[in-house]
Order: sequence, then structure tokens, then C-alpha cells
Amino acid sequence: MSTMTTSASKATDPTPANKNKSRPRTPAEWVLMVLATLGALLIVFPMLLLLLNAFKSPADYANSSPLDFPEALDFTGLQTFWETQNFPRALWNSIFISTMVAVLAVILSVLNSFAIGIGRVKGRTWIVLAFLMANLIPQEMLFDPLFRLYDDLGLLSNPWSVIITFTVIQAAFGTYLLSSLLGTFPKEILEAAAVDGASRAKILRSVIVPIIRPTLSVLMVFFFIWTWNEFLLPLAFLNTSDSLTVPLLLEQLNGERQTDTTTLIAGTLISIIPTIIFFLIFQRTLTRGITAGAVK
Amino acid sequence: MKHRTGAAAAVLAIGALALTACSSGGDSEPAATNADGSADYSGETLTVMHYEGEDSAMGIAWNRAIEIFEEETGATVDLQTTAFEDLNASAEQLFDSSDAPDVSEYNKGNATAGQLAAIGVIQNMDDAYAEYGWADLLGEGIDTIAMYDENGVMGSGSFYGVPNYGEFVFLYYNEDMFAEQGIEVPTTLDELEAAMAAFSDAGITPLTTSAQEYPMGQLWYQLALSQADRQWVNDYQLYENPVDWTGPEVSYANETLVDWLDNGYISSEVTGMTAEDAGLQFINGEVPMFYSGSWWYGRMLSDITGFDFGITNWPDTTLTPGSGGNMWVIPVESEQPELAKVFIDITMRPEVQALLGESGGLPVAANTDDIADADAQALIGIFNEVNDRDGLSFYPDWPTPDFYGDLNSVMQGLVNGDYDASSAATQLETYYEDYVSNVR
Repeated sequence: MSTMTTSASKATDPTPANKNKSRPRTPAEWVLMVLATLGALLIVFPMLLLLLNAFKSPADYANSSPLDFPEALDFTGLQTFWETQNFPRALWNSIFISTMVAVLAVILSVLNSFAIGIGRVKGRTWIVLAFLMANLIPQEMLFDPLFRLYDDLGLLSNPWSVIITFTVIQAAFGTYLLSSLLGTFPKEILEAAAVDGASRAKILRSVIVPIIRPTLSVLMVFFFIWTWNEFLLPLAFLNTSDSLTVPLLLEQLNGERQTDTTTLIAGTLISIIPTIIFFLIFQRTLTRGITAGAVK
Repeated sequence: MKHRTGAAAAVLAIGALALTACSSGGDSEPAATNADGSADYSGETLTVMHYEGEDSAMGIAWNRAIEIFEEETGATVDLQTTAFEDLNASAEQLFDSSDAPDVSEYNKGNATAGQLAAIGVIQNMDDAYAEYGWADLLGEGIDTIAMYDENGVMGSGSFYGVPNYGEFVFLYYNEDMFAEQGIEVPTTLDELEAAMAAFSDAGITPLTTSAQEYPMGQLWYQLALSQADRQWVNDYQLYENPVDWTGPEVSYANETLVDWLDNGYISSEVTGMTAEDAGLQFINGEVPMFYSGSWWYGRMLSDITGFDFGITNWPDTTLTPGSGGNMWVIPVESEQPELAKVFIDITMRPEVQALLGESGGLPVAANTDDIADADAQALIGIFNEVNDRDGLSFYPDWPTPDFYGDLNSVMQGLVNGDYDASSAATQLETYYEDYVSNVR
């Protein structure tokens, strides 16, 4: 977000030195810029609401509009959230689960798609389609059978139940994407490697993976984010307070008829901080995702 | 890069081991029996699950119960808090799994606890009721929600849960606004209508509600109840006889609502308002009256700063919407059913119940004398008034699984003029009979 606004302000305010170098803006460019600014405002708006309301006392919140500034800075919402909920634990659970899923699902996708895309097994279109089914099945259908399975395996309230489930679901999508990518992988490179005496494992490790690495890192980031936001299946599998993930922890703040809104807002504010940090670290990988898929 | 990811994976793997090591299973060895016959449970663990806030009346009282329990039995309590909606979504599976708590709070009603009782996911508690005498503590109208028959319909059959608190619906009013207009707090229906007319003449909408959520449906039900007797409630809620949807009860409720809407006693804005919106209108001092439940009471006490508010029962009625609250159930996979009963019994003790009342809740088995706080006394006072006339009549949406949405849509239709009093009754009958004719 910050980069967007700074680059926008730089563009609107060109320094005299390079003024003659840049050509005047066309009306179309102005329109686009206004639209981009509006879009940015639209995206910042919810965070602004969080910031405005997280520091209100419950009485202040009840008596003012959500857009008003707080009467006085009040930290009870943040304090209650921190004291009543084990946020560090949930944060660790979320990071652990999402990271494991991202890493394992990418490894699994590469192995699958090596067989399907490079190995050119018979009926690969159907195999890929079968994989895609894992993504298309509504999670509500998986709820009961998987719950009973993990119950029998003794994996309930254990992060591995969620890791196994989502490694499979995410790897299904990864296999689909990478198979079509590797299907168009230049034969000459593979033949050259084979002539040099490389084994299949060596070809995968030293030739294919380095070439598609940008795509893999994008996939990994996406898997991480998708798993982070998952709600329904983690809700079913993770039942003890110690095993909750961040979205589940926030859900705990909703009451039957009443919700302590200021605590919920404060909790939401705290919980998006790791996401923002994650975004700042992987910002480049994410933007690279737009051009990913093209083989050099 | 490669090495770093490797190291990170190693760190994560170690963390995973630590995680699994933490979650040790509950032990279920039989308790040793002391010479005097009382069981010694030291070393045992009881997993208790509930979804009340830590600062809520129930949360405070149950924390005290946990202390007493640990002291007296020597066992330790593993408290798991969850959210109402979470448990609603997962209870059917959870209670029948290795992750099942030993005792849990659960939502009362046919579609929830009744359903679980019918499929055998929560334990029959008839023996425990006989042993501990809980039935004597629970009043009429409270115990109804603890009993379910083989089809999961409440009101008869076996006990499947123990309600620990009550809830009911009454009128919140703004004392300052009444005083400003020189209006007395109404004690009869005529006075109530006169008060509404006076506010309306002064340009103030007298009564706020919400047609999008439960408040207007509960107001409708209260109006019908004011013309009804206990048999009508049994017919409506327990399907004893067919309900006459053209009878005086429903006609009065529909006609009164239409009348009040026409006179501007209720604003037409209520179609788009949630319960929270309606509550905020009252808290902000924009409207003098709000008809809603005891679950608002604590919030009103803490959030209303600009004026004094009072509470009173709806005038001229013997029956009032309300019931026992959510209750303790013992899941079928509970590893400590005996300890669970001991724990439930502690939550029913006068001292725990008094603390529940003192903290703003509605105890089901407290001595009113034990409660010193004036605000708590006011609430328990009008609750006892309802109980003394055996007035608790449950909630309007209980008869069918979809009636909550059905009733709200008809209420919205009444407000925006899609229905008149009689077509609203016909529509409600269609929705109601659609389900009830199959179970009656």
C-alpha cells in the first residue's frame, strides 16, 4: 500500500529537473491515476476503520459513529484481547501450519507434475482433472468423513490434521498449474542434460527446479496465504484452546447474542500486523506472480 | 537460500514435536475410594467446555465453581472456551470423538440439544437428577428445556441437561425521557399506549425494535402471549393441539403491531435494523423504550452514561418470553461422567448461583437474600415476578427450525405494508404448519 501511494505522489509532483524529460500526461493517464487513487482509498478504508475504533472504550464506541475519532485513547480492547486470548500461541500455530503446508504442497506439486508434465504419462488430462476435483469439492462435504478419520488416527486438535488436509488440497491446484507449465518445457534442455549423463532425479533437481523457481516461490506464497485464511476445516479439527489458529481465535470473540465489538476490533487489528509484515517481506515475490508461468 | 529454508524447516519440526508433547490425553483410571465412601479424584483431569465470556456473569460464577471443584475433589480442571457458533457447527461430531470434553455447555432447544439427545450424542441424565435432586431446584418453565423425548422434542421424556441460568424479555425504559415529558412509567397496557401517544405527539418515536433480527418477533410473541393462556403456549411450542392462527392471540398481536406502526409508535426504519442497531438507539438516548432480553442488562449498565434507565415487565400479561439458559450436557464420549456430575452439582450450589446473580446473570437456584447488589436485585426481582406467575413461555422461533427467518420476514412485511394483520397470520400459519403438521 505504502509504495503505491508514494509512487503516486512522486508522479503527481515531478521535480523541475526532469520536467522537460517527461512528456505531458494524457487525459487517459489522469483518469487512470484518479481511479488508482480511489482504489487505494477503498482498500485502506477498512484498516482506517480498525485504527479509528480499536482505541475506543466500549461506551465511546456505542455512543459515536464508527467514523468518529475516539474521545480519548483507550487500550482496554487491546488489553482484554491480549489477556483473555493466547494470541502468540495462535500466531505460532498459524505460522507453523501455513509454512508446513506451503513447503510440503510445493514439493508434492513438483513431484506430481514432473511425472505428468515431463514424464507424459498416459491419460494425463484425466489425471490432472481428477486432481482438480480435490479443489472443486465443497469443504462441507469433507467435514464429517475427515473428522472421523482424524478421530480414529488420534490427530484431532493436532496441527498435522490441518497440514495433511491442506497439503493435499493445495498440491492438487499446484499439480494442475505446474503440469501445464512443464508440459511446455523445452525438450532441448532436457535432452542436453540427458546427453550429459544426468539421471532423472538430477534433471529435476538441477535443471527443472532452478528454471521454474520463480513460479515455485509464488506458489509457496499463495499456499501460505490461502492456508492462513482457512476457516471451516480447521474449525472442525482444532478443538482445544491451545491448537487454535488466528482466524479461529478471532471467531472466539463473537458472543451468542452480544459481541464485545471493541475487543474484536482490537484483536483484528493485532492479527493483521503479522500479515502486513509477511506482505512486506514477500512483496516482490507476490508482484512477480503476475508474470509467472513464462519459461525463460 | 536453500540452507536457510532447511534450517527453518528443522525449527518448525522441533516445534511440532513440542506441540504434540503438550497435548497429552486425559487419564481415565477409576478413582480410588476412601474409607468414608467418598471418591478421591486427585490426579484426574476434568475437561470443561463453555462459550461464555470471562467477564460475563456465567464466566465469573463458573470460574468460582472450578475453584471449589478442584479444592474438594483434588482433580484438576482443563477449561476449554469456545464460541457459540463454533460449537453449534461442530458439536454433533465433537461430542462423539476422542476430543470430546467431559462436560460442556450447550444450546437448549429442539433443533440443538434435542437433536443431539435424539441421536444419542449427549448422555441421559435421569439417574443424576435422581441422585442430586436437581429437579427440585429448577422451576416450571426452566426445566422444560432440559427434557427431551425420543424425537428430540422438549418438555417431556428424559433429562439431558442442566440449565444453570435463566433469561427473559422485558421493557427497558429511559427514566430521564419519561421525566422530561412528565409521563409516568406504565403499569397497564392502556398507560403504555397513552405514554406512546404522548411521546409520539412530542415528536419522539417511543419504541425501538428490529425486524431484521429477533427483537420484533419477540415483541409480536409477547403481544400474543398477553392474550393467551398456558395451553396456547403448550399448543404452540409443544404441539399439543393445533394452533388457531385466526384466534384472538395472533389477531391481537398482528393488529396491535399494525396499529402501532400506523400511529408511528414504531418507526418503519426497523425493517433494516439489527438488534445491535436497536440497542444502540436506546443506549444513545434516542428512544425512550426498548423491548428486549436480560442478555442486554450488563451492557446497558456499563454503556449507558448519559441518563438513568429502568426495567419493568410488560404490563397486563401473565406469560412472558423467556426460558432457562443454555445448559450443561455430558457428551457420550466423556471420560469422566461421574466427575462431570459432581462439577455440575457445584455450579448449582447457592453460593455459586448467588455469585452468578451478583455478576448480572439470572440464577435458577439462588436465595435472593444472598444478593446485595441493587442492580442485580432489580433484575432478579422482576424475573422472580415472572416465575411466581409461572410465566416463562420460551421464544417464538422455537417450533420449527426455520421459523426464526420466517417470522422475521413476516415482521418486515408488516412494517413495509406487504402484509396486513390477517394475511400475516395466514402466511405465518403456512410456514408453521409446513413443519409442525409432520411432527404433531
